[in-house]
Amino acid sequence: MIIEYHRPQTINEALILLSRDQPATVPLGGGTVLNQPSREAYAVVDLQSLGLDEINKHGQLLQIGATCKLQSLLELDGKSDVVLPQALCDAIRLEGTINIRQLATVAGGLVSADGRSPFGTAMLALNPTLTLLPGEEEISYGELLPLRDLKLRHRLITQIHLPLNTKLSYHYVSRSPFDLPLVSAAVAIWSSGRTRVVLGGYGEMPALAFDGPESSGAEIAAQNVFQNAGDQWASAQYRREMAVVLTKRAIADMGGRV
Amino acid sequence: MIVNLNINDFGKELDISPGESLLSVLRREGYFGTKHGCEKGECGSCTVLLDGRPVNSCLLLAAQAEGSRVQTIEAVGQHPEQGWKLTEGLHSLQQAFVETGAIQCGYCTPAQILAAKALLERNPDPGEDEVREALSGVLCRCTGYLKPVQAVLRAAARMRGEAANDVGRRIFPEPQGISGDRGKGVGDTESPDFFAPIPSSTDTKVQVLPKMIVTSERETLSRVGKPDPKVDAVKLVQGKPAFTADFERRGMLIAKVLHSPVAHARIKHIDVSNALSLPGVAAVLTWKDIPRVVYSTAGQSDPIPGPLDTFSLDNKVRYVGDRVAFVAAETEEIAKKALELIEVEYEPLPELLDPDDAMKPGAPVLHDEPEFVNFADSDPGRNLAAEIRIDIGDIEQGYEEADHIFEDEFSVSKVQPAHIEPHVVVTYWNEDDRLVIRTSTQVPFHVRRQLAPVLGLPIKRIRVIKPRIGGGFGGKQEILNEDVAAHLTIATGRSVIHEYTREEEFIDARSRHPMRIRMKTGVKSDGTITANAMYVLTDTGAYGCHALTVTGNTGHKAMALYVGDGPYRKAPNIRFYADIVYTNHPPAGAYRGYGVPQGFWAVERHIEKIARHLDLDPLEFRLKNALRAGELHPFSTAWSEGREPRPEIIETCGLEACVQQGKAVIGWDQKYAVPEWHDVFNVKGECAPYLRKGIGVALVMQGTAIPYLDMGGASIKMNEDGSFNLLVGATDLGTGSDTVLAQMAAEVLGVPLEDVLVYSSDTDFTPFDKGAYASSTTYVSGAAVVLAAEKVAERIRDRASRMLNEDTEQQRVQPSEIRLVERRAITPDGRSVNLSDVGHNALHHEDQEQIMGVGSYMSPVAPPPFAAQFAEVTVDIETGQVVVDRLVMAVDSGVIVNPITASGQVEGGMAQALGYAVSEEMCYDERGRAREVDLWDYHIFRANEMPELETIFVETFEPSHPFGVKAVAEIPMDGVAPAVGNAVLDACGVHINDNPITPEKIWMKLNT
Repeated sequence: MIIEYHRPQTINEALILLSRDQPATVPLGGGTVLNQPSREAYAVVDLQSLGLDEINKHGQLLQIGATCKLQSLLELDGKSDVVLPQALCDAIRLEGTINIRQLATVAGGLVSADGRSPFGTAMLALNPTLTLLPGEEEISYGELLPLRDLKLRHRLITQIHLPLNTKLSYHYVSRSPFDLPLVSAAVAIWSSGRTRVVLGGYGEMPALAFDGPESSGAEIAAQNVFQNAGDQWASAQYRREMAVVLTKRAIADMGGRV
Repeated sequence: MIVNLNINDFGKELDISPGESLLSVLRREGYFGTKHGCEKGECGSCTVLLDGRPVNSCLLLAAQAEGSRVQTIEAVGQHPEQGWKLTEGLHSLQQAFVETGAIQCGYCTPAQILAAKALLERNPDPGEDEVREALSGVLCRCTGYLKPVQAVLRAAARMRGEAANDVGRRIFPEPQGISGDRGKGVGDTESPDFFAPIPSSTDTKVQVLPKMIVTSERETLSRVGKPDPKVDAVKLVQGKPAFTADFERRGMLIAKVLHSPVAHARIKHIDVSNALSLPGVAAVLTWKDIPRVVYSTAGQSDPIPGPLDTFSLDNKVRYVGDRVAFVAAETEEIAKKALELIEVEYEPLPELLDPDDAMKPGAPVLHDEPEFVNFADSDPGRNLAAEIRIDIGDIEQGYEEADHIFEDEFSVSKVQPAHIEPHVVVTYWNEDDRLVIRTSTQVPFHVRRQLAPVLGLPIKRIRVIKPRIGGGFGGKQEILNEDVAAHLTIATGRSVIHEYTREEEFIDARSRHPMRIRMKTGVKSDGTITANAMYVLTDTGAYGCHALTVTGNTGHKAMALYVGDGPYRKAPNIRFYADIVYTNHPPAGAYRGYGVPQGFWAVERHIEKIARHLDLDPLEFRLKNALRAGELHPFSTAWSEGREPRPEIIETCGLEACVQQGKAVIGWDQKYAVPEWHDVFNVKGECAPYLRKGIGVALVMQGTAIPYLDMGGASIKMNEDGSFNLLVGATDLGTGSDTVLAQMAAEVLGVPLEDVLVYSSDTDFTPFDKGAYASSTTYVSGAAVVLAAEKVAERIRDRASRMLNEDTEQQRVQPSEIRLVERRAITPDGRSVNLSDVGHNALHHEDQEQIMGVGSYMSPVAPPPFAAQFAEVTVDIETGQVVVDRLVMAVDSGVIVNPITASGQVEGGMAQALGYAVSEEMCYDERGRAREVDLWDYHIFRANEMPELETIFVETFEPSHPFGVKAVAEIPMDGVAPAVGNAVLDACGVHINDNPITPEKIWMKLNT
């Protein structure tokens, strides 16, 4: 339950509000998660006036403001000199309906991602760097995700730095084309051959299965990560086997060897 | 806190709470076109435009919207007629939604229109994919999205200055040689090559109307058969406050229910003192506070054909979600807080969660209350809510005569109607101290009758008003929360509103009955079915609402279709046994199809396997054994909803024609058993080795109304301008029944539809009607309307003849010679008087009288509609993922009164059934807790993931109805799942016996 609403005009104001312990105070991006019914009482700091919604391209790096909407990111593709990986666009579309994407922010999507989040899964494969205030800390998404509750306490994400020199493929299995995934695999391959495999569809967050200088061994790693990934939506055996199938397909998509 | 909001270009300073959603504030300020359907942004019925972009106002704090421009549906378009004031009229989108029949219940329509408006403002020439994407944020449970997509494309064309096409004429003559008993075909001959296969296309058809093969008997009809716009369409596209929750009343309390967190327990101790002392709490009720009256929540005619086993509040809880206490408070926030302050001590009881265990010795007994009232063979001591044992012919003899015996087991899961408008009710004492219940119900008269004893009021002191309903699908054939608000109004003397959250819809509303089904069928080598048996174990959950009748219909319809051939046609051997047991799951109830989809899942999967095993053509095998016109409905002498059965002959059956038409449209002969068609190629022409296409079919039948039981009434009165007020107790839950009833009245009275003003329903003012269920409204209520209209027509003819005979120089005309056509009463020699003059004459000039008529109708028969359902799928044989590519349904529903509303029923039904086939199910853990509590996990198909849908109507003329109609509403639910199952089998050789057909099930079968 939201008991206080603040809309600071400066980042400093926002950080002061976020530094409070009582009441518990959290940043509000689009609100698609925080505005859902909750029994906990907390204050929200609406970031919409802080100018954190800009997107800029610097070389092969896309700087995305934390409050940039998912739909804005999607619409950026092809309408500027920015070309997002098609798989990332697909994952954004799968993340939420068009109405949700109009509100949901990139940073909000990253920090709230559970295992079934297509956007979180795809982004964890791309592994962007995030800027946190105070302290101007740069931290990779892969490092942040398991520690998000701790790392983001009293803090604010201001930017996401997304590499554009990476190929990405995203494959999933679900009950219908736009249902949440039962299993998913996102594979990012850098020009150097570095390959990063992330599995989704299960657990509290997407799981990094493989990060190596090339793709060989990726599917075995994927299988291992989902060794015990059974829950009420799918058995561990199924997820294990699908992890291999989807990882192979994703790597094959990008011309990689499996 | 104070915020300044710009709503529809008006600045408003508002006092809000920090956590208040924009949806809440908008509705509080009277913007009722913004609807509540969920709390997590799943459904999108709360869509508004924020700076021109569609957003879910339930997920947006009102405070967040400060500084932005908020647009609601109230700012879009106006009614074209507002007296002397010129108006801009409806927006092009609204007009297109009206014309194309894109509106059914209309609850999500404002949201769809706003989403489409945002699209067209950014992209005036969108493709179909873009339209579907734009609409994908708004769930629609009624339409299947086809007509809304067509409406947006149509509006876009019009807004670009292009001429909008006619909604389309797709009427075809009856082809030669397939008619059987059907009438001679008439109509336009636009497609002489109708039987030529039509290639599959992913494009939405430009023409809105379905394909129709028409009967000759409808040739003389002028209004019946026409695609008239729905009579309620204009208000619904404007988001007018037409629904239950749109009602404003000063000082209305908010009701909330405390639900049980445990599946089975006695309430050992309950203390509400802390809750009661919370400021703003008006009442807290527990089982100690209200009379202990046993009843059934199933809205059915008297006597209820099932056990009475429910109390408004009890000292025992029987499922996670069962009621523990009611609270009424000044605000929702206070009411929720009060729930948290109620202290409950539960004494746990053993849980019964597996229906297989229900009747075992020593099983926990759910209903040990002494007030339990048995119906028929129910036996609470064995957890048996109902039992059915039907033997037709000699099943054992039939097996002996067979060359092959086939046995198999199937199961169907628990699924939700998931109407977008939740259950909602408002109650208050009126100025006469009569209790008014304004409720979103399919059964207003049953609500009044069944609640009266529960509330301690005589029937005459209760008035039930049914406003517009935002979808029901059977879920509102239940007296679900009317008692909650009513008890609290009695306790407080104040108005109370109670509205379910989406989570409550999942944990405490009704669902389709899950069933485990065993089939055993005897077949001769030539494909003649000699015996067919089904045993069903039904999980009715904690209460036995609809327990007997739902499962009875499983057999009554699904097991009636295949009687066998030759001598077996007159003497089929059929057995249908069922046990309907209590468990500690949430209660099941009525859901569109009413037990029949469960039956056909088993029957049609089983029949397919038999055909393939015996190497028989699956369609020839089916038609060889299927029921035909002129034959006895085999169950009509065996079972009738718990009442005395009476024999019934099938007068019309267009099943064979449905098969022919469906085959042609889907291209069956070019696909089935054609190996190369099953391969999938990519854009480069390369074969995708892990993808396989499949095609499947299922034949189905339903019923039309409940014979010798359910009655509908109608009254019609004439006004001086020649218009008519049609009052019906029938409840239009979005189906378009108000419209088709008005069309029937207009047909008899010789007026356009706009001259018939429909009102439904209000137990004080409208005639009785059993309500909207059992596919009965068009047939039963429609016949009542025709009878009432004929009485009015008779009075008009009588008066018109007197008026015309005043001219003594002309030949005298008899009333019976007068025809009512185009708002005139016309003599055979062409003289006429218009109905406005007749109306004035009757009310003001001479021998004054109110011309009116009342009709009621109860049917002695329940003529079944028939259909052939086809499906195409693509299966990924490495993952088991199945994508349904296309659904084609050819339906014999008798004469189609309104092809737009009827095809909307079929499209929407197929979409619902598609979810039931592949994605929808309600699962519970080992403690009876629900897995699905929102519409994210319970996945309903969205606009951007639908397969291609196609409807074909093959008309017959049902002689038991004045206009030859049969039902259309429920049959679309029956065939999709088995047709998809059969298509999956065709694609990859895998038998899935347990629905839904999920990727893991397919993969497991492929790998074992």
